[in-house]
Amino acid sequence: MILSGEARRVLDLSIRQNGLSESGKRDVEDLLAMMPADRVLLYKNVDSNPVGDLPRYSIHIRIQHLLIFTTFLLLAFTGMPIHYFDTFWAGPLNAIFGGVGVTRVVHRTLAVVMIAAMVYHFAAILLGTLLRIRGKRFDVRRTIVPAMKDLRDFKEDMSYVAGRRDQRPEMDKFMYKQKMHYFAAGGGNLILVLSGSSFLFPEMWASVLPKAAAAYFQEIMRMSHPHEALLALLVIAFWHWYNVHLAPGRFPMQWSYLTGKITREHQIEEHFLEYVRCLVEVPEERRTLRAMLEARGLADHGESPRGFIAEEAGR
Amino acid sequence: MNRTMGRRFLAAVCLVFLATAGGGGARAAEPFDDEENCLMCHKYPKMGRVTEDGVLRSYTIVPEIFSRTVHRNVPCRDCHTEIKELPHKPVTKGVSCDTECHSINNPATGRPFSHKIIVEVYRKSNHGREKNEEGPDRDKPYCITCHTNPLYNPVEEQPPGRIVDRCVVCHEKRKFVNAWYNHTSRRIREVRRSSEEIVVLCSSCHGDKKLVDRRIETAAKEGRSMGRKFPLAVESYDASFHGKMIRYGFAKAANCLDCHADAGNYYLSVHEMRPSRDERSSVGRENRVKTCQRCHPYAGASFGAIDPHPTADRTDNPFRHYIEKGYGLAGYLVPTGMLALAMFETIGRRRDGVSWMLRHGTSWRRRSRRGRDRHGA
Repeated sequence: MILSGEARRVLDLSIRQNGLSESGKRDVEDLLAMMPADRVLLYKNVDSNPVGDLPRYSIHIRIQHLLIFTTFLLLAFTGMPIHYFDTFWAGPLNAIFGGVGVTRVVHRTLAVVMIAAMVYHFAAILLGTLLRIRGKRFDVRRTIVPAMKDLRDFKEDMSYVAGRRDQRPEMDKFMYKQKMHYFAAGGGNLILVLSGSSFLFPEMWASVLPKAAAAYFQEIMRMSHPHEALLALLVIAFWHWYNVHLAPGRFPMQWSYLTGKITREHQIEEHFLEYVRCLVEVPEERRTLRAMLEARGLADHGESPRGFIAEEAGR
Repeated sequence: MNRTMGRRFLAAVCLVFLATAGGGGARAAEPFDDEENCLMCHKYPKMGRVTEDGVLRSYTIVPEIFSRTVHRNVPCRDCHTEIKELPHKPVTKGVSCDTECHSINNPATGRPFSHKIIVEVYRKSNHGREKNEEGPDRDKPYCITCHTNPLYNPVEEQPPGRIVDRCVVCHEKRKFVNAWYNHTSRRIREVRRSSEEIVVLCSSCHGDKKLVDRRIETAAKEGRSMGRKFPLAVESYDASFHGKMIRYGFAKAANCLDCHADAGNYYLSVHEMRPSRDERSSVGRENRVKTCQRCHPYAGASFGAIDPHPTADRTDNPFRHYIEKGYGLAGYLVPTGMLALAMFETIGRRRDGVSWMLRHGTSWRRRSRRGRDRHGA
């Protein structure tokens, strides 16, 4: 396989950041040379463990996800019967919690837990980033920060799905869908927290805002809380659950939220650039992949891509 | 006019006759002061007449009910002053609540008791009208629209012996003592309507679209303008935070009168409703923050600017209207778009040979229409 310029840059940076030895470098280059040029053949032929093969999420991220999704769902189930109090289904739901008075207390308590989980998340990513920068292992492309590449990836991915391209784009650890989802969820949570606090502390918000803005702020917050929550619930139900539970190849679920690991075929298909990093960071993966390629007769014993590029450049 | 009255009287007499002949009979009366013997006729259940407008009006007094009302100790003619003889002539004026009750003296002043003071306040308020109003102001509430002489609370029907047994030692008459107990205990305990009842009461007029439209029409004819929230008062309150809290059963949330009446002089103030553009109103520009501070002690000018009657009506609040439209649109577009994207992706990847579940080490077990299948698939 000849790496694209982008994948090559990712690989080179990863080799530098991980201080890979010369033999390690040679091992990676040889393995790349063995890999079939067609990435589709690669992810279709590797063997994967359904619960995951390669590291993806730290224990902190998994705890945060558990906290956020349990509180979010419970907040929806306590918030909806409060907002839609007059509907036929709200009564029984409120009754489950012991009446609307208790539902409100449960809702607010869960909101505090969710806010704590958000604080934990921001602290974890901030600290993690600082540690990586300090250890000279930081690569912004590996983060959730959106880039122009994501727009390009989206366009190319749609072309692939429409049958106008034969390869999915080489996407990083977080692909365009995940970035959209993350910022939609993050923004949504922020709106929900702000609007919820405007219900609880209207005087406080009015005191910090100028008179001209206070009324508009309350108006927009009062509308946003139920609407944003409903929108978030719809996004979760229609998109997130599709992507992680219902999509072909992901059914009945991706286990990464529990195991912290992603399957090999998924990593190669949707996060190829991260897979390239894994080849540097996880020597065991190099051995496993080499054995698979040999076993399936997919090993390409041509020139090393590095040598190939050098030869091309020399002509 | 005399012929009309004559017909009314004749109809009343006929009804009395029919009621008696029909075997309706009289119900056993609970003892109450009927010294003028009005129940002689008014005890009959079918006593009434059909008005010129075709409305059946009942003149029956049910003694068991009347004897438990707040006015049961007031002789009938103290209010029905028009009646001078028995059988009486057709009544044309009806009862006005500012009539002086000749039989009861105000113990504070020694003068005949009257609701005149509060009626005068009410007359000058936005709700003020005359008892027999025939013009457009007929839509406004009169005293009995709100004050329905409710029955005493069951606990007051039997005054506690440990209290009244002590009183009768000097006051001698148990009937007087019981009445005194009922009167005072009723005022000592909270007798105002619950928040939910107040909202229902105010909504019975302000939520009546036809009535509201008539008031707006009348105001337009008179060259006045009604408040911006007048046609939306109930709808917007229901949608407000306060309205929702009341529906949830939280009595502490503000009901209509908590804001529109002056808490410092509540019982008088509820009778002098004024529009918010009137500076004397508790929700007037100058008083609004002070009114908010009753429940929200830290409220300031910015807090006072928050609309307590929010609506998404385009003319009332275009800002909220378009935000709501935007959210509504997003509510349709986002799930539709995501569903479409999910289906698009599913079709594309299925065509490429993916299976639903990862089994035997792979999800790519199907034959792809694009070729490049898994080796051995």
